[in-house]
Amino acid sequence: MKDRSVEQKLRGEAGELLVAGKVDYIVGFERGSLKFTTTPLITKDGNDINRLVINPFITSNLAKFLMELKGRVGIVAKGCDSRSIVSLIQDNKVIRENLVILGVPCSGIISLHKLEKLAARDSEEIRDITREDDRVIVNIGGEDRELPAAEVLFDSCLACEFPTPKEYDILLGEPRAATISQNAWKNVKKLEALPPEERWYFWEKEFSRCTRCYACRNSCPICFCQQCFVEETEPQWIASVPRWQENFIFQIIRNIHLAGRCTDCGACERACPANIPLRSLTRKMYDIVDDLYQFKAGTDKGLAPLMAHYENTDPGDFIR
Amino acid sequence: MREESKWEPRLLGFLCRWCSYAGADLAGTSRKKYPPNLRIIRVPCSGRVDALFILKALQQGFDGVLVSGCHPGECHYQVGNYHARRRLAIIKKFLEYLGVAPQRIQAAWVSASEGGKFAEVANEITEELREVGPNKLFTDER
Repeated sequence: MKDRSVEQKLRGEAGELLVAGKVDYIVGFERGSLKFTTTPLITKDGNDINRLVINPFITSNLAKFLMELKGRVGIVAKGCDSRSIVSLIQDNKVIRENLVILGVPCSGIISLHKLEKLAARDSEEIRDITREDDRVIVNIGGEDRELPAAEVLFDSCLACEFPTPKEYDILLGEPRAATISQNAWKNVKKLEALPPEERWYFWEKEFSRCTRCYACRNSCPICFCQQCFVEETEPQWIASVPRWQENFIFQIIRNIHLAGRCTDCGACERACPANIPLRSLTRKMYDIVDDLYQFKAGTDKGLAPLMAHYENTDPGDFIR
Repeated sequence: MREESKWEPRLLGFLCRWCSYAGADLAGTSRKKYPPNLRIIRVPCSGRVDALFILKALQQGFDGVLVSGCHPGECHYQVGNYHARRRLAIIKKFLEYLGVAPQRIQAAWVSASEGGKFAEVANEITEELREVGPNKLFTDER
């Protein structure tokens, strides 16, 4: 993302949409309270348009807000967000005609956490961060330091197949081709190399830290059930105490519910305050679905949702 | 606590009321022998079986879960078993990745006339689970 021009274009287009009454809301990003961070901006007011930003730190998946907004919505969408939107359209959760999608071709989102670690600096000590192709230039006390982009982007971005939005009305900037790095599969591969008992034990340890705050669920654009099974009381599927067993079952079922709809955008992992590697679950589920049904979530709004559909030729060799 | 030598696998079967459940009945009335390790819950359709049922069974200590329904094309509700097939395929692969022995999740198509096949399936999966050993997935002592 060469951000200045894209940002200007976005502000122009978004302002026009609001003024012309083509949309009731604009959903985008604005500067966050901490340095370099961004936070979602949802507005009806044309004066807020100049608060909109596009930079390599626009982490949230804005598709999350679509179901809460009534009327027509103009939404800023990176590649992954646009796929979540398509997924919601497939599930009849949002109506395409009510959306104006402002697509942003994305070159990957920088993980501040990774960057701080690699630069051995707190983000407060960093003056500026700029993205140039495969490098990230970090300015510390007036001095430039170059870091390889692949080391500081979120893992989910390394596996990104569609950096250019699959669905958009206005494209801000030039389309980008995917550059997929095998590094994105590093955690899944590591787990797969372990014997089964140790894999289970790994998750037991991870989910012992989980406090069931539901940040994963609440940040997930396609976790939209009005009542989640974990809150049901008749029957009570899982106890409300956050024991690892219950935490793990919650997450297993969540992933099964998201099969064919999860685009592996990584919102859950970023939201997790306990740093549980949730993408090692979502990534695997994404690959299972792709292997079995050659189905990539959120790539074609005309397709029936994976789990509401079947083919006579579906694999069934595991059935006696 | 049971002694290790006396351990017997405990299996939970979700059987479709239109075919597999009747198949199990037929196995009984035609005096086919099958092990008592399999406890049966009758469901309206194999498509009724939710991933939660399977995980709940494993959490409560069942050593394996069997989902059995009508052969493809023979579902009383036309397509329930096709949906079950998709769901089970995904559940099985995903749980295997997490570290659950694949033998713990079993599936079969058994029609109402296949009493013999039902007994066979029950025998086979009991033997497989006997080899896999007790389910200690959700216990705290390991």
